[in-house]
Parts: sequence; structure tokens; C-alpha cells
Amino acid sequence: MKSLTIRNLSKTYFDLYAGTQVTAVHDVSLDVPAGEFVSIVGPSGCGKSTILNMIAGFIPVTGGEILVGGAPVKGPGRDRGVVFQSFALFPWRTVLDNVAFGPKMRGIAKAKREKIAREYLALAKLTDAADRYPNELSGGMQQRVGVVRALANEPDVLLMDEPFASVDAQTRMTLQEELTRIWQDKKPTVIFITHDVAEAVFLANRVVALSKGRVLDEIAVDLPRPRSWDALHQDERFKALTGRVLQMVRSA
Amino acid sequence: MTAALKIWSGYLRLTARFPSIGSLVPFIPVIGLWWLVVYLQVFPRVFLPGPVDVWQSFTSLTYKGILPEYLQDSMVRLAVGAFWGIALGIPLGLLIGMSKRAYAALWPPLLFFQAIGDIAWLPILVIWFGYGLVTMTFVIVYTVIFPVVLNTVLGVRTIHENMYRAALSLGASRTRILWEVVLPGALPNIVTGLRNGLGYGWRALIAAEIIVGTSGIGFLMFDARRAGSVVEIILGMIILGILWYIVDSWILAPIERATGQRWGLVQR
Repeated sequence: MKSLTIRNLSKTYFDLYAGTQVTAVHDVSLDVPAGEFVSIVGPSGCGKSTILNMIAGFIPVTGGEILVGGAPVKGPGRDRGVVFQSFALFPWRTVLDNVAFGPKMRGIAKAKREKIAREYLALAKLTDAADRYPNELSGGMQQRVGVVRALANEPDVLLMDEPFASVDAQTRMTLQEELTRIWQDKKPTVIFITHDVAEAVFLANRVVALSKGRVLDEIAVDLPRPRSWDALHQDERFKALTGRVLQMVRSA
Repeated sequence: MTAALKIWSGYLRLTARFPSIGSLVPFIPVIGLWWLVVYLQVFPRVFLPGPVDVWQSFTSLTYKGILPEYLQDSMVRLAVGAFWGIALGIPLGLLIGMSKRAYAALWPPLLFFQAIGDIAWLPILVIWFGYGLVTMTFVIVYTVIFPVVLNTVLGVRTIHENMYRAALSLGASRTRILWEVVLPGALPNIVTGLRNGLGYGWRALIAAEIIVGTSGIGFLMFDARRAGSVVEIILGMIILGILWYIVDSWILAPIERATGQRWGLVQR
């Protein structure tokens, strides 16, 4: 696991329909020490996904720089694992082969990479699904695969782009609890993008509020771990924190 | 009533165990109607021979060794044509699908040449290559390649951007992406293209054999016309149908089931 540093990051692009320059991200700086879980929260269109896509190297930056463990980011790479909102599993590969894909690209032999994949599948309680194809699984199961596929490649930073937005509310709570458990186990550096304030607070050590491409403010979340919804949803500190983040997001 | 139900449920169980029987049953009334028309002598026997005559012609031509040889010739031609159609069509389709420049350069001529039907090439091909295997292979390759290329391009273009992003962020190189993402992602469409291409190719082959052939099922039929043997013409037609059914349902359809349908990319 490595640290992530974002300095004066900005993104402007030319809007063909409006015929003007649009600033999607404006002078964003963020320091994430190794092993920290940071949520970036904001309404749709606030530039949070653009930031994540720049960290992932999917789109070029207009200004500023992104460093992973001190080294500048150039294009996508295996040091930054990505979990997509649409899961983006390979439909032509079984669950096991999806999770073993990263290790395979690193040149790890078949027996060993399947052992790695099975360990990570067990971590997300997916052992029985190993030989099935993604389309045979529910959305919640598919995203569990998406999370462990990224983790099995042992990235320095884990980037999560609204990963639980397209699963139902009950499943989402389970997935959130599982993610906090897995994070405690593996301690990856995580950037978690969401528009859900409660989700952001529940998962993170720190919540960064974003609006119109700018950082509004940030709040440290010092809630004890392990975290569970049963314990937290009536918890006064949790309510106070979500209230403050909500106020920040809405004030902009 | 219960007896009829018992027969029906027995039939359902039988076809569930042996699906090929289920696909044969629809032909029983067709053959029955054919037999009836012949039996009632609606047309003179020389114009429309019955199922029994065709069967006799089948056994005698098989016995003489003509039919097996012609069948083999046709199948080999189709296989050779299909091989080159696939070997050229898939890489070409991948190239056009992945590269904007290749698309800009190759797409317009591709559509232009697609419009010149396979048979339309025969006059000039006969002058260039004469009556032989080269001419026929050219026609089949020409017919197979367009559906393969067009569907491969379509297949590559339907691959979602996130597939590439996922593979790249898991450490895949550009060349690995070709094998791990582009090819499997386009495969369901490639198989569909192949299925269409071979279907067209099969028809083009028969047409080519009729015009330039010296052997093969198409030649058999045209030769029979010269001799005024309606029996052999009908036999040829039946063989065409059966052969294509076998190729399609025993080879192509199972490939389709094992890829796109299994992966949920194509709806059943």
C-alpha cells in the first residue's frame, strides 16, 4: 500500500454543444497517507468521477499532478485498482478467472494465481460462485467479485467509483459492512466516490465534500471499527457527522 | 383421451431426451403431402417423382460412388472457402473495428465490393482463372468474408469502454488486451457473422458449381437437368437442405450457445 498525493489538480474540456470551455475540476489538492480510507462525496456533476478517472489514468489531466507513492501517474496501471459502478466484469470469464486476471497479467502461474483468487473469493464469501459466469450472479454478488478482482491484484491504491449505487438498499448495506471488514483486514489505501452521505461517513476515515469541481471542506470520521449499521444507525456521533457533511454538501 | 395424452407425454419425453427427433417430426407432413400429390398424379410422374423414386436414386448414386464423391467435393470447397474467409475476415474486422484510420480507409471500399454480389464476379473470374477450384474458392471466400468482417467490426464496437479500462488497470498490455478483451468481446458477433457467411457461402457454392463446376452437388443438379432427370434434381435440393441443417445445428449453433449465450451477451 502506498500514499496518494493530488496537487492542484484541474480538468477543463471543450463542450461541443455549448461551445465553451467547461471546468469540471478546479485546483483540487488531497493528501492520502498509505492505508487511509477517504470518501469523496458530492452531488452528480460535481467532478468526483472525473477526479477518480484522472487518478486511474483513464483521462488526461489538464493541470496539476497525481503521485502514487511519490511517483507521477501516467495512464492506467496495476498500481491503481478500480471498482466500477457498472461492475465491468469480463462476461466471458468465470468468476475465478475474473479474479485471477490481474495475477495472470503479472505472469503468475495458473495454479498459484487460482490459489490467490480462491483466497480472495473466500474473503467475500464467494467460494461457491467460483465457476459461474458473471451474468449468472445477482448485482450484489457481481460487485463483490468486482471488489476482490481489484484487491487480488494487490494495488497500491484502490479506486471505487460509486460501486454500490446500482444494487438494492439491503444488499448495499451488507456490501458496505463487508467492505469495512475487508478494509480492516487488508488496510488498502482507498478513494471511495459516492453521492450518498451516510455511505461516505460509514466507510471512511475521512470525508471530503466536493461541489462544482472544488473541495468545500473535509471531516475526519473517528467512529470505532468494526462498524455495522445495526450499531451505527442510531448512534449520535454518526448522526452528527452525517448531518455536518450533509450541511456542507447542501450549503454549496 | 387418456391414451392420446399418454402418447403425447411419451413424445415429449422422447424429444426431450433426443432433441434431433423433434426436429425431424415437422418433415413428416411435408413428405406425406409430397407423396399424396404424386400418388394422386396431379403432375406427370416425369415432372414430379415421388419420395420413393428419389430414395432409389439416392441409393443407386451412392452405390455408384458418384454422390459420395460429389458431396466430398462440395464440402471440401466450402471448408477451404470458409477457412480463408475466416482467416482473412476476422483480422480485417478486428483492424477496422479498432483503428479509426483503418475504418476510414477500408469501410467505403468494403461496402462497394459487398454490393457486387458473388455471382456477378463469375464472368470475369472465368476469364481470369478458368473453370476450376480457384474460381469457386474465390466466390466462396468473397461471400463468406463480408458478413464475417461486418459482424466482427460490430462486435468490436459493442465492447464497452470500461472493459478496456478494467483490463488496463489490472495490468494488461495493449497486445494482451487484443487477446483478452477484444477477441472474446467480439466473439459472439463473429460467430453470428460466420453463421450468416457460411449460409450465404453454401448458396454461392451451389451457384458456382452450376455455372463453372465439373463436380459437386450443384453440378449434379445441373447435369441432371441436361439429362432431364427430375429425380436427381430433387435429390440434390434435399441434400442441400439436409447438409446445411447439419452444419448449422451441429457445429455453428452449439458454438453460439457456448459463447455469447453462455456469457449473457446474446439473449436466448
